[in-house]
This record gives sequence, C-alpha cells and structure tokens, in this order.
Amino acid sequence: MRNYLIRATGTLITSSIIFVIVFLNAPGAAWSMDQHDWSDQEKSILRSLWIGSLGPLPVDPSNKYSDNPGAAALGKKLFFEDKFSGNKKVSCATCHREDYFFTDNLPLSHGMDTTPRRSMPLIGVAYNSWFFWDGRTDSLWSQALGPIENKLEHGISRTMSAYIISKYYRTEYEGIFGPLPDFMEETFPHHARPALDDPDALKAWVLMTPDQREEVNKVYVNMGKAIAAFVRTILPQPSPFDRYVEQILAGETLSSRMALTDAEAAGLRLFIGRAKCTNCHNGPMFTNSDFHNLGLPPRENVAPDMGRASAITQVLSSQFNCLGKYSDAHPNDCPELRFIDTSNKKYEGAFKTPTLRNVTERPPYMHAGQFATVREVLKFYQSQAKNPELGHAGLTDEELDLLEAFLHTLSSPLTSLQAEVK
Amino acid sequence: MKRILFVIVALFFFLPGCAAQKEQTAGHMEGMAEEHGHEDVKITRHFDDSLTKLTDNKLYSLELVIPVKNVKMGVNTLEIIVHHATGGDVAQAELTVTPWMPSMGHGVMQKPVVTERGGGLYSIDNVVFSMTGHWQLQVKIAKDDKEDTAVFDFPEVKAMGHEHAMMHAPPPKDLDYSTTKMTANDAFKVMYKSIGGQIRINRIHSWELTVTDSGGQPVNDAVVTVVGDMPEHGHGLPTQPEITPIGAGGLYRVDGMKFTMPGWWVVTISVRANDVHDSVSFNLNIL
Repeated sequence: MRNYLIRATGTLITSSIIFVIVFLNAPGAAWSMDQHDWSDQEKSILRSLWIGSLGPLPVDPSNKYSDNPGAAALGKKLFFEDKFSGNKKVSCATCHREDYFFTDNLPLSHGMDTTPRRSMPLIGVAYNSWFFWDGRTDSLWSQALGPIENKLEHGISRTMSAYIISKYYRTEYEGIFGPLPDFMEETFPHHARPALDDPDALKAWVLMTPDQREEVNKVYVNMGKAIAAFVRTILPQPSPFDRYVEQILAGETLSSRMALTDAEAAGLRLFIGRAKCTNCHNGPMFTNSDFHNLGLPPRENVAPDMGRASAITQVLSSQFNCLGKYSDAHPNDCPELRFIDTSNKKYEGAFKTPTLRNVTERPPYMHAGQFATVREVLKFYQSQAKNPELGHAGLTDEELDLLEAFLHTLSSPLTSLQAEVK
Repeated sequence: MKRILFVIVALFFFLPGCAAQKEQTAGHMEGMAEEHGHEDVKITRHFDDSLTKLTDNKLYSLELVIPVKNVKMGVNTLEIIVHHATGGDVAQAELTVTPWMPSMGHGVMQKPVVTERGGGLYSIDNVVFSMTGHWQLQVKIAKDDKEDTAVFDFPEVKAMGHEHAMMHAPPPKDLDYSTTKMTANDAFKVMYKSIGGQIRINRIHSWELTVTDSGGQPVNDAVVTVVGDMPEHGHGLPTQPEITPIGAGGLYRVDGMKFTMPGWWVVTISVRANDVHDSVSFNLNIL
C-alpha cells in the first residue's frame, strides 16, 4: 500500500514537473506522453467529432429518389455532362472536380464566366441543413438546379435541360421517373426560364402554356433529384484523426502506437480547447451548418456580398423549397424552413461554416478564396482575437503550427460508394 | 511525504487557476440603457427592470420589456405592455415602432414587426439598431381615432457581442442549470423539458414547458415567449421557435429550438397571464 502510494506520488511528481515545463516553456517544448491523456469530457468531444458518430445518411424527405440507385447512376452521368452548358464545356464537375475532393483550386470559381464565390466542397454535403455558402436552398436537389440557370455557371435554362434529357437520357429517365413528353426543338423554346436577369428568357417562359411550363419544371426537378442522389454518396472515409479517436476510446495511450503524433495531438487539444475551433466546426463533419460573419477582408473588384442576409428571402420564396409543390416532403418534415431565422440584419456578410474534412488538400480557402493556404487562415483567426464569433484568443505562432499539423490528420480518401454507382 | 503531495496538488490548481481568475476580473461588465426624462407618474410595473413611459398626451402608460435585459446593436426583440393611463389593458391598438438615431437624423431600413399577444401585450420583433451610440425608440399608439406617442431613450447602445468577446466572459462558476425555476418576481413556476431526451447540438428539437402559478395551479392561457442568447458571443438562436399552448396542465410546446454552438446559452422565457408579466432565464450548457 505504502509502496503504491510512493509510486503514485512519484508519477504525480513526474507529471507535475512535465506539466510545469510545458506550462512555462509553452508549446514547442515537451508535449510528452501526457498528450494522449484525455479527460472524460474531452473524450466525449472527441467522440462527437469522430466519423463513427456520423450516422447513416439523413433521409431527405423532399426527394423520394434520394436513395434510388438508378437515380444516383443517372445523376452521376448528369454531374459529368458537358452538354448542360452554354458552351458545352461546363459540367458540375468543372468546379467540383473529382480529383480535387469535389471542389476546385480557384479563389473564385469559373463556369461560363467568373463567379463571385469559391466552389463549395461536396464531401458529406448531404449532412447539411442548408446549401450554397449562403444557404439559399434547403435541399441538395434544389441546390443542384441553381447553377444550371446561372449565367456565370452553366448558363442554360430549364427548357434546354429538359430537351437534353429527352434527347440523350430518355430511357434512363423514364425507367426512374416515368413517361417523358417529347421536348421537340420546334415546340419548346431553348432558353426559357423564370429569370429576372434575362428578359428574353423570361418572355419565352411566360409565353409557354402553363402545362408546358409544368412539364419542363417536373423534368428539371427530377434532374436535380437524380444529381442529388449521386452527390449524396460523396462521403469521407476514416482519417488518421478518426483512427486516433478509436484508439483513445479503446484506452490506448502508448505514444509510439498512436495514429497521431504528439504534435498533432497537441493541435487537437487546442482545436477542441483553448482555440475554440469547435464553436463552429463541431460534429463529425466539423461544421454546425450555421452562418457566421468572420469579418473577412472583401475581395477587390467584387461587389460587397451580403451572404446569408440576402439568401433568406430567396429560400423562402423558392418554388423548389421543402414546402413547395415539387418537394416530396410533408410540411411537418421541413423544420429548418419552418423555423428559419428571418433576422436579415444578423446575417449580413455571414457564410456557412464549411467542413474541415480533407481541408488541407483543397486550397484556397473561405467563401471567396481570400486565403491561399491553411496557414493564412490560421493567421487570420489569430489576428481576430476580439471578434465575438471567433475568439481564438492569444494563439502563438507555435500553436498555429500544432493546429496546422492536426488539420492534416483530417484527410482521407473519399468513399468508394460512388464507384459502385455505375 | 504528504506535504510534498499537497504542494504539488496545490501547484496543479494554482497555475490554471491564475488564468481563470484573470479572465473573471476582466469579465465583469453590465450596462443598462438608462431612461431619460422619467415623468413623475405612477405606473404599475409588471417587471422590475422594465422601462416605463407615459405617452405625450397622457392617454396611455407603456411598459417596455427587454427580455435579455439590454438592447444591443443588431436585432432586438422587445415587448410593450400598453395600459390606459387610468388603468386597464389596451387591446387592438395599432402600434408603430420606429428606431431613430437623433444625432444622425435617420432611422433604419428594417421595420419592426408588431404582434398583439393579448391582454395589452404587444411583441416587437426585428427592432434593429444598426450601429452603436444614442438611439431612440419612437412608439405611436393609434386606437379609436386617437393617437398618442412616446419616446424611449437609449443613450448608449453597445455592440454586446463584441464587448463580451473582448472580455471572454466565462460563465459564472456557480451557474444554476436547474430546469425548474420561479420567475424573477415569483409570479410563476416554469419547468422546461427537451422532448426526446438530452439536447443535441445542431438538431432542431422541441421543448415542453409547464407553467404553474405561485400556488402551484397550472396556468393554461398564458402568452409565452422564448428568447435564446449566447452571452459570450452576443447572438441568439439560429431559429425562430414557435410556442403552442396545449390547453391543459399548464403545458406549452415550443417547436424549433436549435443550438449550433457548444457552451453557455441562456434561454429566457416570459410568461404573461392574468395581467401578470414575469420572466425567467434558464442556463444551459450545450456539449
């Protein structure tokens, strides 16, 4: 008993000395073996960030085809289809590159022309409540339809989309969604859409009969639902961080066997602790899917971006929202839209928290590519100690090193699910 | 041996303790919008810390309730209780509320939204003070071809979130996390319960409230409002919850609750029933 006490005291003395060294010398010195000791509360935070907490893909009640393999297979083809563009060179995959974690390497994405924002990563996107940087749609299928009719992105119309589907994808489409009317070139205008930025397309749209407009809308919506069924399958696989959490939860602490180095674990400790990164980057996708204004520098030559503030009325008035006629959801299954915070002022310049999975693999960063490297992002946060939304107070450059080291451990290959979709 | 142990243990507590203490000292700040030109009229308050005003033509007495104690730069949700100067609730009045910045001679683009809640209570959503400084809230009451006005004065509207962040105010150590509390003036007892068990971050969920009076009798016909705030960040809930009375047992259902940040949240529930208006704040620690 006495021996035990002495040994226990000895351990305590050793760890205290190490503690004092760490405390006085600050990071950079010895992180030591203690780096892999986590309190029960820290363990519960680690578990909440672990990919094992992700759970099955959430059901999208507004898209009854979301788990339909045929729809996903069609969606994959549509995702890579260049015909859906004004110059027949732009597909979804132009800005969401498969070889670049389904985003691109440009500060501002470029479809038919340069857009005002960066392309969003699609990893695990189905776990979001809102889509686009500003959340202007509330489902993945309505998100997929936005760029098609955007002049700067695909730059075509829903009538042209219906025409392409009927000409090139008729069999597959009808196998999933049922009979398709003939969209003959002579009877349907190629560029008709309910758009306020294109008077000619708008005029062509209103001159169509209500039945024709309805037919086109149905095909257009089903196209979005098929693309969504594919994009849902883009998921992260376990990263070194996830393997580390499994080790910690299993009681492993031996430094040499851990999936994270001491420095990476020290970065993780900052991430969930003093640096307060989990204020917004929480849960297994490292995002709260909420909107925040970080006080980012505006881009030169780009009009001020109101972010979420101007998206609230857009999603509420969208004919393709969860409560609209093209949604398959019961109104009770649309809680995000029903309880949407309409305080525009609160969301001026606010953008969605992006996932951090694979974050170091896909520069540049922020909604308009303001930063070229993860380091620049961390430096920015370091400089924003007084911003209420950030509050990563007093981080030293050495601590940024640790955080950066940790962020590298969030990388993993994407899921093979997409490979199954043929 | 024991002494060494004690010193080491003390060292353990002392070092992190220092940092915590420093934050705490810097962390104390509270600023209340003061009321200028307070008329010497007896107004029955429902609330200890509300602002009261007699209208310019002395037709009505107004009580302005700020559920989160202070107005702040940004979006505010307020409540106004309108009484006849001679006593009695004023129902079905038309209230126009205008935020005004006297030094700049301008208001704001955003229009406050007035909703009558019954019993003389009007809730005022979307009251926007677009910058820090001296603001006024002009209130016009129109009823039965009569009009009267009053102005509430806020000499120093601050950016709450920013100041809080500068202090990095940690939650007070002895924070009361109980889920059953008496309202501030002991008029009601309120209990909240998350339907479906433990509250999970980033999930829209519902609450069930049980409201009883001081004698323990259920209060079924109250007007209940719910406001969430994160004192360390100065912003509210990411949703706009809806409150539905169940009609029996003092039960109310709150749909659309959502917390998207871990940490200290304060949810303030105000209850108005039988001409009594009182409120209670619950602390939550979201993990």
